[in-house]
Amino acid sequence: MLMQIAEPGESQIKEACRKRVVGIDLGTTNSLVAHVVDGTPTVITGGDATAGDDAALVPSIVHYGADGVVVGHRAAELAAEHPRDTIVSVKRFVGRGLRDLASQRALLPYELAPDDGRMVRFVVGAGDARREITPVEVSADILRAVAARATAAVGGAIEGVVITVPAYFDDAQRQATRDAGRLAGLEVLRLLAEPTAAALAYGLDRGSRGLYAVYDLGGGTFDVSILKLVDGVFEVRATGGDSALGGDDLDRAIAAHLLAEAGVTIDLAADTEAGAAAGAALAQRRLARRAVTAARAVKERLTDADEALFTLSLADGRAIERRVTRAELAALARPLLDRTGRACRRVLKDAELDAGELDGVILVGGSTRSPVVRAYVAELFGREPLCDLDPDQVVALGAAVQAEVLGGGEQQVVLLDVIPLSLGIEMMGGVVEKLIHRNSTIPCGASQTFTTYADNQTGFDIHVLQGERETVEGCRSLARFVLRGIPPAVAGMARAEITFMIDADGILRVTAREQVSGVEASIEVKPSYGLTDEEIEQMLLDSFDHAEDDLQRRNLQIERVEAERILAATRAAIDGDDGLLTDDVRAATEAAIVELRRLAAGDDHLAIRAGVEALDLASKPFAQARMNRVIEAAMRGRTVDDVDHSLAHVHPGDHDHDHDPDHDHAHEPPDGR
Amino acid sequence: MSGSYFELLGLPERFDLARPAIEAAYLDRTREVHPDRFATAAASERVAALQRSMQLNDAYQTLRQPVRRAEYLLNRHGVFIGDNERLDDAAFLMEILELREELAEARVAGKLDEVARLQAEMRRRHRGLLDALIPLFAAVEGDDAAGRADALPRVKRTLIELRYLARYLEECDAALDDEEA
Ligand SMILES: Nc1ncnc2c1ncn2[C@@H]1O[C@H](COP(=O)(O)OP(=O)(O)OP(=O)(O)O)[C@@H](O)[C@H]1O
Ligand SMILES: [Mg+2]
Repeated sequence: MLMQIAEPGESQIKEACRKRVVGIDLGTTNSLVAHVVDGTPTVITGGDATAGDDAALVPSIVHYGADGVVVGHRAAELAAEHPRDTIVSVKRFVGRGLRDLASQRALLPYELAPDDGRMVRFVVGAGDARREITPVEVSADILRAVAARATAAVGGAIEGVVITVPAYFDDAQRQATRDAGRLAGLEVLRLLAEPTAAALAYGLDRGSRGLYAVYDLGGGTFDVSILKLVDGVFEVRATGGDSALGGDDLDRAIAAHLLAEAGVTIDLAADTEAGAAAGAALAQRRLARRAVTAARAVKERLTDADEALFTLSLADGRAIERRVTRAELAALARPLLDRTGRACRRVLKDAELDAGELDGVILVGGSTRSPVVRAYVAELFGREPLCDLDPDQVVALGAAVQAEVLGGGEQQVVLLDVIPLSLGIEMMGGVVEKLIHRNSTIPCGASQTFTTYADNQTGFDIHVLQGERETVEGCRSLARFVLRGIPPAVAGMARAEITFMIDADGILRVTAREQVSGVEASIEVKPSYGLTDEEIEQMLLDSFDHAEDDLQRRNLQIERVEAERILAATRAAIDGDDGLLTDDVRAATEAAIVELRRLAAGDDHLAIRAGVEALDLASKPFAQARMNRVIEAAMRGRTVDDVDHSLAHVHPGDHDHDHDPDHDHAHEPPDGR
Repeated sequence: MSGSYFELLGLPERFDLARPAIEAAYLDRTREVHPDRFATAAASERVAALQRSMQLNDAYQTLRQPVRRAEYLLNRHGVFIGDNERLDDAAFLMEILELREELAEARVAGKLDEVARLQAEMRRRHRGLLDALIPLFAAVEGDDAAGRADALPRVKRTLIELRYLARYLEECDAALDDEEA
């Protein structure tokens, strides 16, 4: 059903361009990697059974010890003993500042560096080895470990990855994730929303069509997305969620409840590792870590049992032993589940749907194994949810499919995703003017013109924000920059055009241009809690043994491969062309090809990159002509008669958005269970 | 490529379009030029695909919603509506003001049924105004110059009224969300 008619030369291009790619689900609790084998997405397991490494899931845990970095199952074993130096659930800190964590500080056994307005930093190690480490670096360590197991399985270096992120991740969190990929030495082809990835795996597996809701409750994040599936197109209609709501919160709620009941207080305020206090602080941290771990074990046992025993030995030799029932769990979970319910109702409203119009609800994430969660979802949507694909694995499987698409594979699916939160800029009086609204399909752009408000104003202060509220305080500040050099004039004379562009990763780029003088400023919005390019470059250097040499070799390798790919693609396009190439474009392109060949034989990676860019520039008119022809070819033979219906029959519905009662639900409901 | 949104989607430039037709036109085109299909192509092609996709998305976002489609068409006829343009109609403004007070009272008193009733009523009215746009646009799009000159200001007026109604409906949503929070 997904067959497309190949353009002339397209199959050769495909073959020449094929990359070795994998999809990675970088989870709060567990990470997985998958790839497509003979058309079937498959999770890659580790090889070492003794280290618990033969499983599909790699615990997203990193231990920073005296002998180096340990990731996964072995790190999990060290977590109770070394709470401060073993980072779990790092995803909750990615792209966040200390201030953002206020509500989640309870029972966190880490030493966090003092707030300096930047991203959260963990302090690990002692003595000379004491150092600060960012969540981006911790994530990179997980990615490196996961990619390493993939390298063995796919038989060679990974050339590209798709990394999944919660749909509700904002710009700062997405950028931090992409940075982590870079830092791990991976080429990030795309950041893919987790529920979208799950829908992809589900839809392809079942050949489903229609409207689906994906309810994804994992360890640290909650997402809900509504998608329409038709003929290989996966269109996200609306998305919502909470990037700090998951199984972890329930674990902490259970632990806090039982500790309070037993009259035990844990004091994690002593954030020092020096002197006499150090021993006490470590003991408190260990207790916090063990309490949360024990709570999680109880929670998971209550999935199959009606009762489970919570045990925790305390410092003074006492122990808490307490039977917990499923009903108690349900009561503790209720406030968290109600938060998911609110997000679900809003997302239905945004998609202009009633729950009854859905063809199915798909469950994703380990937390949806719990009968308490399932019952809640069933009641919320008024139907039994689907959960016949492994909720732990679907996200990685979908990421593998998308990686295959982007790596030049056969699979022909198109994902149309949306931006989860509106983007805007600050106006006079602290009001936020939205340029792009939430649930707009990406990639997209918008621009707006603003005028000066004071006489002789020579700069525009531009403050970029993300969120739904109308005021600056209610939104997340992404970045500030100044457009300078505006010629002095009377108020209202100078005009700045501000343009937002969101790429397919959901990441924003802002440009500002003063229209009279032409002064321009462009920034890739580096969020206040992000890392600068220099910082990443330095971290990369640090991570190589013979830093300079290795990096040189690696860069050269990357640019050469890229040059080969482009040469092959351009050659195939020229050969398959029928009359689109004008003589001068052809001559310029051929010349650029010769030059790039010459450069690729040398060892200057920057020169090679410049050669690639020159070839691109030369062949640009050709590319645009091809794009037009792609559309024309696809549309040939269709007429506009198809569109000749009257709006009167299709009632534009509720308020501003319209609602179409007969949107074609080509019903083919999966044989539901 | 700087055609109109209608041209981009291959649709006739008029108000009266069915939602499924707009969707189909968009999906057909976007499927062909989506950047994912050019991921391994040369950068110039990737850029061309990205730009075309963005244009298609912008066009779709605008044309699929009748109110935005109508405003876009109005602009194409050289008529614009300012951000804070007010209606010069005391009776209408008065009525909306009263309805708002009614809503505010119901909200404060926590009478959600009442809020829901007001919302349903306003939705009906909103729908009615959208329907009224169809014959108006037929005149705008017709050959009769006099009819067009007469219809354009009425379209504009209707769209401004719709803004008031939309704002009211947002308040209804907010009131119903209170209970959620
Ligand atoms: N049998 C079970 N019953 C209840 N909860 C479970 C069960 N198994 C796992 N969980 C919970 O599922 C969560 C982990 O789920 P999952 O692996 O899907 O998360 P993740 O993908 O790492 O996180 P996220 O998607 O939020 O980044 C943990 O909170 C874990 O306690
Ligand atoms: Mg997950």
